[in-house]
Amino acid sequence: MSVNDVRDQLAASALERGDSTGAAAMSRRKRLSRRELYTRRFLRNRPAVAGLIIFVMIVLFSIFGGLPAKHSYLETDFLNLSAAPSADHWFGTNNAGNDLYAETVHGLQRSLIIALIVSTGTTVISAVVGAAAAYFGGSFERVVLGVIHFLMVVPTFLILALFSNRSGGSWIVIAVIMLLVNWFWPARVVWTLSLSIRERDYVSASRYMGVSGLRIVVRHIIPNIGSLLIIQFTLGVVGAVLSETGLSFIGFGVKPPDVSLGALIGSGADTVSSAPWLFYFPAAALTLLTVSMALVSDGLRDAFDPTSAAGGRA
Amino acid sequence: MVVVATNITYFLANAFLDPRTLFVGRRPPLTEQQVDTLLQANNLNSHESIFLRWWTWAKDIVLHWDWGNSPTGDPVNGEIAFRIGVSAELLLGAFVLYTIIGISLGIYSASRQYKVSDRIVQATSIITLNIPVVVMSLAIVLAAIGFNQKVGIRMFYVTGSSSADAHGFGKIVDLLQHLTLPTISLVIISYAGTQMLQRSLLLDTISADYVRMARAKGLTKAQAIRKHALRTSLIPVATQVAFSIPGLFTGAVLTETIFNWQGMGQYFIDTLNKMNINGVVAVAAFGALMTAIGAVLADIAVVVLDPRVRVH
Repeated sequence: MSVNDVRDQLAASALERGDSTGAAAMSRRKRLSRRELYTRRFLRNRPAVAGLIIFVMIVLFSIFGGLPAKHSYLETDFLNLSAAPSADHWFGTNNAGNDLYAETVHGLQRSLIIALIVSTGTTVISAVVGAAAAYFGGSFERVVLGVIHFLMVVPTFLILALFSNRSGGSWIVIAVIMLLVNWFWPARVVWTLSLSIRERDYVSASRYMGVSGLRIVVRHIIPNIGSLLIIQFTLGVVGAVLSETGLSFIGFGVKPPDVSLGALIGSGADTVSSAPWLFYFPAAALTLLTVSMALVSDGLRDAFDPTSAAGGRA
Repeated sequence: MVVVATNITYFLANAFLDPRTLFVGRRPPLTEQQVDTLLQANNLNSHESIFLRWWTWAKDIVLHWDWGNSPTGDPVNGEIAFRIGVSAELLLGAFVLYTIIGISLGIYSASRQYKVSDRIVQATSIITLNIPVVVMSLAIVLAAIGFNQKVGIRMFYVTGSSSADAHGFGKIVDLLQHLTLPTISLVIISYAGTQMLQRSLLLDTISADYVRMARAKGLTKAQAIRKHALRTSLIPVATQVAFSIPGLFTGAVLTETIFNWQGMGQYFIDTLNKMNINGVVAVAAFGALMTAIGAVLADIAVVVLDPRVRVH
């Protein structure tokens, strides 16, 4: 349900009651654009704002954190093996002498890039495929749904592990494979929602105007499930970070010399009692990343949902 | 569906795993011929046609329930049978615990919507739901090691599923000592999903007319929720919980690795690393079977809970 619907309903109910002041107040107050309304509702949600700030800081840290670093993540310092955090090595070093600060910054970058690629790709593919299947119907829909149901049965985690094990740990390959095994769940959700949008008047109107099918899908159907797609995108980032971490942790993901947060935690896990700093710093970065993103997506959901009272009245 | 998925995995695993690499670098080097005979004995020779191998593999399963051997000749059956038991020990307890905790916390927070206690429960759930499994488990390991050192005795074991020297009554204590930590870690990361779903569904039903009617008849809020609102909201929760069973096993891959439980999850990683094609396929078949069982359980739960659904 869109915000416009709600506004219409409010106006309608005010008229029904014969309450002219309500309707007058609606028209006198400056009309908020949809975006302004969402922003307001989002900003009223304090945990979500905190999450957003933390997330932005993490992104900035992953981009610019490398600038003040004294060492490169590839460089090994043989004088400081498994050294505790110090003035020279801010986060300490691992048993090969790699500077953990540089590694954390780089790993964060890797995890973020993989997550963003996977999540963006998943959202785009699922939106187009799901909406197109719902709009065109017929044999195209049957084929798409067949593929989706088939992929639901296949053990995707296993495929992920098989492929990425073969790829030799290149992060691009891992991102592409994660994309391929992730798109179908959201595609099914998009399909269900698009089914009802297909029946709306504006869709039939543009069809009778002679607008091409693909154009209707992209211009009319997808924007109307936009709020869902945005939430799905943020949740997708969390999911991708988590599964990439898991893969790298058990050794099927990003492999040395490249590092990601999962791989860092994986190597820190072996020395968790003797050199706990190898675990603390990447784990803290990872947790902040996923939790902040989850708070943001929770806030977005409340902001988009006209029936939610969590954000107060807007 | 289970059969289809298993067969697809068989071909995929054959395409991606090459047991031949295991014999590279053997001293003294083996000739091509010797490798062939070694692999042939376990039906893994990649010089033989894939369809012939598949036929032998499928025939053995259907006729003898024999899931084949690893490249080194160990039968997969024995490994799996042992490991399902180990995994079940850990997962069943955790599953029951987190379902109960999740549902009761969900009811608690729904009946106190937007009060301080609800906000606290919600905030905790968002955080625990999104803490990566590895971080959670390792943090618990660190805490337990710290605790053990404080107390001076080994209260909790950080690795393994049992000690070799335990017997009799000591065996149960020993098992509990090993079980505690991985169970806590699984419960913490899993309860939040159930809790959030239960909360939002119960909130939907609490405001429904028939619950207000129940209140109007003179029931207390607690009675109205327990007798009228809860039952409706439990149906979708039960479905979700049942469908989470297969996810439980893949999720446990990481937990089992960290706590060094010799369960299915660990076997999965092990088979992939050791090019154990038949083992990988057996694990995948087990996963598909779990999905099927989950679906059946979901149906049963709906029939039990929903008076509108009747089996004829």
